[in-house]
Amino acid sequence: MSSPFQQRVLAAMGDQGLRSALDRATAQLGDRRKNAFSSLDHSDLIRDISRYAKMDLLRDLSGNLQRFEHALQDNGAQVHWAEDGPRANSIIVDIARQGRVKLAVKSKSMVTEETHLNEALEHAGMEVVDTDLGEYIVQLARSRPSHIIAPIIHMSRADVGRVMEQRIGVPFSDDPQTLARYARERLRTYFLRADMGITGANFGVVETGTICLVTNEGNGGMVTTLPRIHVVLMGIEKLVPTLAHLDLFLKILARSATGQKLSVYTTLVSGPRARDHESGPEEVHVILLDNGRSNILAGETAEILGCIRCGACLNACPVYKNIGGHAYGDTYSGPIGAIVTPGLKGLHDWKDLPGASSLCGACREVCPVRLDIPKMLLSLRKTSIEQGLSTFDMRMAMTAFGIVARSPNLYRFFAALVRWVLRRSTQQAWVKTAPGLAAGWTKVRDLKVPAAKNFQQQWRARKRGK
Amino acid sequence: MKPAEAHQSGALPAKVQLFHTCLINEVFPEVGMSVVRVLEKLGIEVEVPLRQTCCGQPAYNAGFQADAKKVARHMITVLHQADGPIVIPSGSCADMVIHQYAVLFQDDEKWLAKAHSVAARCHEFSSFLVDVVGLTQIGARVRARIAYHPSCHLSRGLGVQQQPRELLRAVAGVEMIELRESEECCGFGGLFSVKNPEISGSMMNRKLAAVECSNAERLVSCDMGCLLQLAGGLHRRGSSIKTQHLAQLLDEGMQ
Amino acid sequence: MASEKAWQVNRARDTILARVRLAERTALLPRAPAEMPRHLEFASQPAEPCLERFQREARALGIETFLEASAAGVRNRIKTLVINRRVFSWDPELLPYDLGSILDNVVLSRDTRQEQALAEIGVTGCDGAIAETGTLAMLSGRGKSRAAALLPPVHVAVAQRSDLCLSMSEFFRKKSGKLRAAASCSFITGPSRTADIELTLTVGVHGPGRVIVVIGP
Repeated sequence: MSSPFQQRVLAAMGDQGLRSALDRATAQLGDRRKNAFSSLDHSDLIRDISRYAKMDLLRDLSGNLQRFEHALQDNGAQVHWAEDGPRANSIIVDIARQGRVKLAVKSKSMVTEETHLNEALEHAGMEVVDTDLGEYIVQLARSRPSHIIAPIIHMSRADVGRVMEQRIGVPFSDDPQTLARYARERLRTYFLRADMGITGANFGVVETGTICLVTNEGNGGMVTTLPRIHVVLMGIEKLVPTLAHLDLFLKILARSATGQKLSVYTTLVSGPRARDHESGPEEVHVILLDNGRSNILAGETAEILGCIRCGACLNACPVYKNIGGHAYGDTYSGPIGAIVTPGLKGLHDWKDLPGASSLCGACREVCPVRLDIPKMLLSLRKTSIEQGLSTFDMRMAMTAFGIVARSPNLYRFFAALVRWVLRRSTQQAWVKTAPGLAAGWTKVRDLKVPAAKNFQQQWRARKRGK
Repeated sequence: MKPAEAHQSGALPAKVQLFHTCLINEVFPEVGMSVVRVLEKLGIEVEVPLRQTCCGQPAYNAGFQADAKKVARHMITVLHQADGPIVIPSGSCADMVIHQYAVLFQDDEKWLAKAHSVAARCHEFSSFLVDVVGLTQIGARVRARIAYHPSCHLSRGLGVQQQPRELLRAVAGVEMIELRESEECCGFGGLFSVKNPEISGSMMNRKLAAVECSNAERLVSCDMGCLLQLAGGLHRRGSSIKTQHLAQLLDEGMQ
Repeated sequence: MASEKAWQVNRARDTILARVRLAERTALLPRAPAEMPRHLEFASQPAEPCLERFQREARALGIETFLEASAAGVRNRIKTLVINRRVFSWDPELLPYDLGSILDNVVLSRDTRQEQALAEIGVTGCDGAIAETGTLAMLSGRGKSRAAALLPPVHVAVAQRSDLCLSMSEFFRKKSGKLRAAASCSFITGPSRTADIELTLTVGVHGPGRVIVVIGP
């Protein structure tokens, strides 16, 4: 009866621990964001410039991708192209095999979640370790991240302590400092041993062929510095035109994500180290991934490709605050997930996502690049109707609405009919359980019964009386 | 500005059209009557185009744009038949006519032009009083502790944030209470409230908890969708907090 | 085999670029209003001098800063900071203020990873100090081990007044040539931190938990 999405929603909403964790975290992150923007002069202008820089870049994405490719190659990086997730994974497995890689370390990356890279590498007999603290816990717990920026927003400190106790045999603790120390000690050995570092990219600078990565923990620095081989897997939309633009994007990214002026470690990678340098990777590979992005670009939600994955819309979204990230069912959650997931994977199996929004616009308000998320949700709803993905009742109801509401007489007749039915069913002014479509309404609140005399009747009576 | 000054300054339009919205017509006729009385007390004649139905939002928000267009064309035609300002006492319906009709007809030059000319005449009720007429002091008096719920389409969609608050603050005897997380959505969202009742209900209950702990006696808003949701929720919770449209409060205070 | 691979690479590239080109024709992307500026020109003269701003921002991040008036002052400061500790440093000739003269028996870029990992304190120079965010900028290069600022629990960076600039953009402009030549550039803005567990701030996760900046003349 209920869809997988609805089932996930109900499961999430029954989880009190999850909901109080979400409440606390989203409120805090939201406040931090607000304070951080108050420290930025010209913030409105910076957001506008960034927004349209991204839109202009996407308008000529093919040209920009080629310029980016050439700049990367000039810097000595090797460029690969992947049409979808499995092909991206197999390119990376090939690179790893050629480099005789036994252990790969990863810094936080959403796109490798999207392609399920860990599974692919493990399947090929390699060990792969996530090194962002939250992602490491997620990997130990064999779970999935539930927030773009705070992957374990759904877990309490005791949950984390139990996972570490069970999976790596350390004494239980619920002190974040101690837990972080456990992770540091454990992960340090991996950093020193790893042959390959895998990262996503926060931005790719077209002008200079530079990959920009930001982290707070320093794992981004480690992963791009210590192993022999550095592999970047990035979506084709992650480009910005110039280093001057990068400065603006970094200003709004950290403020929106964590309320910092700048993340602790911002690493710019342009290529492998020179032969006489002692540190840095010997090989840098950049894999440009499509995996449905060109499909999004072709359509009405092209604007969403301007998303810089800061997570601010998640923290602002009243739906996300209630159901958390896992309920969205895929890599990207919250308002952007509701647009990106149907875009990457097709509306057919994901049509519930754009529907699950009150269109309140809180996301648009906080989005650093002012993406018009409600507008895109509406156009996905429209497309899903055009593709015939609605239920029969809904289609009938709306066809009827379209006919009735453009004919005042029919409209009056139907309104009177509904009034008669509802008023006949109760003596009260309120209905506690309503039939049909309205049953969803009375599940959680009462329904006010239509008035005995509607407004137009009262208005006409008053006019006659005058 | 006070009513007398507004008359003298010539800002006061002689006559307005009222787009009363379907919810007011069927469920909350008293709100419509209050709007009429407030405007008339200010010396503005009110006309009601009787062929009006609904702005088409239920179909539009559900993605049924073809059906929404049919309804929108009807409404545009009806509203075109008279001239002068059009007052809409509901934020989301106003946003529909003012912003979303242009999206609906973006590829239809003829209707787009018509939609634009109607949209230019449309004003949400509180914004009409403050921005068009230039009134805030309308000389009303009500003793009550009031919490104001800023509906999302009104505040974020139309950018009408201070106008209702100014009008409320100008009512003698009103004690305004700012709600905790006041900008949060009440969870209505049209069909969303029926198709996702659990999420919508939880959003509503957060809002109502904030209202209850604010110690307000009345909850005032300028959107009948939000008020349908919030009044239904308060009734289910057995609360004695009264919900009102801003116009009802002003009407009550001007008697 | 190799040519087969190359052919596949090109095919994927051509397919993606063709799809993107086709998509660009129908993409619904908003256009900037004509009057909107495309670049941001900050006032060239900031209200607060860069040095003060840098120190203020750095302190707010938990970076310890020392301002020294002379080269000898810098050397003394470094001496007291590294005394009795195992040091992992950039090659001495790349450090300013003749710091090589006081750093002996230190681990360097060319030493093994294992030796580097045992160091208790990392000493580096820097290529820029960005005032508006309290950020240190370091370009990679020979003898300038990137790991020195990452592996040890404490990082001491030595900056010269001339390294100061207001913003990252200014740094990019000033160092555009060097930036092009470097394989990587790291910006460090405070001690390593995380808030992944219940948003509780924890410092020193992977990188140094303590960052010290000594600013010389």
